[in-house]
Amino acid sequence: MRADPASRDIGGMVVAAVFVLVGVLALWDTLDYADADSYVFPRTVAGSLIVFCIASIVWNLARPPDRVQRGPESTMRRVGLVIVLLVAALSMPYLGFLLSGLAAFMAIMLLAMYDPWTRARVFVYPLVGTAIVLGFYFLFNKVLLVPLPAGRLFTG
Amino acid sequence: MNSLGYLLAALTPYHVALALGGVVAGTVVGSLPGLTATMAVAVLIPVTFSMEPASALILMGAIYTGAIYGGAYAAILLNTPGTPSAIATTFDGFPMAKRGDGDLAITLACIASVCGGLVGAVFLLSLAPPLANVALAFGPVEYFWLAILGLTLISALSQGNLLKGLIGACFGLLLSCIGVAEISADVRLTFGSQTLLGGIEVVSALIGLYCVPVLIDLVATPDRHLKVEEASRGFRLREALNISWRSKFNLARSSVIGTLVGILPGAGGSIAGLVAYSEARRSSKQQERFGGGAPEGVQATESANNATVGGGFIPTLVLGIPGTPPDAVILGALLIQGVRTGPNLFTEHGSIVYVFIWGLLLATVLMLPTGLLIGRYAYRSIVTVPKAMLVPTVAFMTLIGTYSIRNSVSDVVIMTILGVLGWVLGRFGFSASPIVLGLILGSIAEQGFVQGWIIGAAADNLWGQFFGRPISLGIFAFILLSLFSPLLLNRLRVKREFARAD
Repeated sequence: MRADPASRDIGGMVVAAVFVLVGVLALWDTLDYADADSYVFPRTVAGSLIVFCIASIVWNLARPPDRVQRGPESTMRRVGLVIVLLVAALSMPYLGFLLSGLAAFMAIMLLAMYDPWTRARVFVYPLVGTAIVLGFYFLFNKVLLVPLPAGRLFTG
Repeated sequence: MNSLGYLLAALTPYHVALALGGVVAGTVVGSLPGLTATMAVAVLIPVTFSMEPASALILMGAIYTGAIYGGAYAAILLNTPGTPSAIATTFDGFPMAKRGDGDLAITLACIASVCGGLVGAVFLLSLAPPLANVALAFGPVEYFWLAILGLTLISALSQGNLLKGLIGACFGLLLSCIGVAEISADVRLTFGSQTLLGGIEVVSALIGLYCVPVLIDLVATPDRHLKVEEASRGFRLREALNISWRSKFNLARSSVIGTLVGILPGAGGSIAGLVAYSEARRSSKQQERFGGGAPEGVQATESANNATVGGGFIPTLVLGIPGTPPDAVILGALLIQGVRTGPNLFTEHGSIVYVFIWGLLLATVLMLPTGLLIGRYAYRSIVTVPKAMLVPTVAFMTLIGTYSIRNSVSDVVIMTILGVLGWVLGRFGFSASPIVLGLILGSIAEQGFVQGWIIGAAADNLWGQFFGRPISLGIFAFILLSLFSPLLLNRLRVKREFARAD
């Protein structure tokens, strides 16, 4: 871990500014609602959100800066994990749950692997992974009767 | 059905098996460093959807209580809390392990967890029904104020930055408005997206906000190659029982602290453990032993964090306001099953709630043998599960669990996006818990607010509608207290430090 030089919570202020925009967007959206029952609550909440965000930005500017701690971390693997999850979700209707889930499992296994791939690991890890995916698939699809997608690619 | 009938219903072989399986599963997940009790409940919850509500609650309660205890293993043997609620367990647990008393510390933690869990469950059994009777007097406006109280409390407690907590709570409330409005059927905050028409499904949002950020962080750092060096000398149960008996007041006090902290919305096992630890240290005649391997430190933390399980269920079941983050997940699961928690639950669905409470007591008792056996024989293999197997398994469970809630791919996409959002916000000090609570309490808050607003506007007395009833005023006073007490306490502390410096 390394301590960065003292700095203001710029990230927190940026997030608060983004939330101000979210609040404004929500207020703008409520203009279209026909019924007062629909807009009174979101308008109050959006208004409160904007007030708290502005207060947070002002508070950050007024108080002394903090020291921020950051550790050595891999951004690429993080992004990779998110992409794999999204691709697995979006490919489910086409490839089917089993195939997209299995592919996602193997891809995430590669992303989470920091040790060298020994001969034993190359065989054992994918085998155990396949068993886990098949086990959960069986539990949800056959025991709990969840209709997991079979995939248009195979069902036509 | 009377109390004996509920107890017998909880003792059916099916429920005993669920309680046992839940405790084992929870203990295993909780013992893995990086995976929280909330995550344990969230990833295992889809299994309960096909069950009866009472059985589902027993399984979820058992997973929760097991996961809280499981966090102690890694805290004691590796100086790494398995769950955040075991943070204070590391203070004395690890020094005990270093001097060769790790096995004793684990047995002490197990006994303390069982004591705390039992005290919490007994409080739940004895306090919840009379509180439910009181809550029957609450009207929609009181429920609105209660929801706001929950949100302000969690904002104040979650990460120390009140304004960020309040921003998160408002964001969660806005998320709860997405979709078709319940009363007027207006389409709200979808911005033309068909995917958002159905609204944000609560449990998939919870899985995203609580599980995906953990996975993102787990995948970003190398495995720590955890190794348990110490050779075990057995359970040392007699020795642990003697020590526990000698510090029975510490156990009782910490359990009560844990129960009370659990009742506060959003304040979970980590806060309870730290408060009980500091109280045990303050009241000890040998304060210098704390931090260097004092068994009382382990006992205080572990009894308090397990007592939050029963304590947290009190507002969850009585008011529909989750006491701890895992309670929020359990509440979401109950909503899917069509069970609306609140005071009427005790009168209309007594068979669900009382069977569950007895089931929770049963699961807590079962934690003693299972906890000791897992600690003795299985812990080494659990803790050495390689990250390359752990991360994809949990990720796959989030995918299949989220999909199975509504058989919807959109929910999986929303879960992932919310998870990424939760991770980004977490990096800048915005905790997930206020967002989650806002999302869960959104419908209660909106119904109460809109009804109060309509009646107040019709009677031309909005102020009187929201502030005119004693219960509303009482809850509002608590809201002000929760908002301003951190500031006042901070000012007092600064003044005291100045006085000491002078």
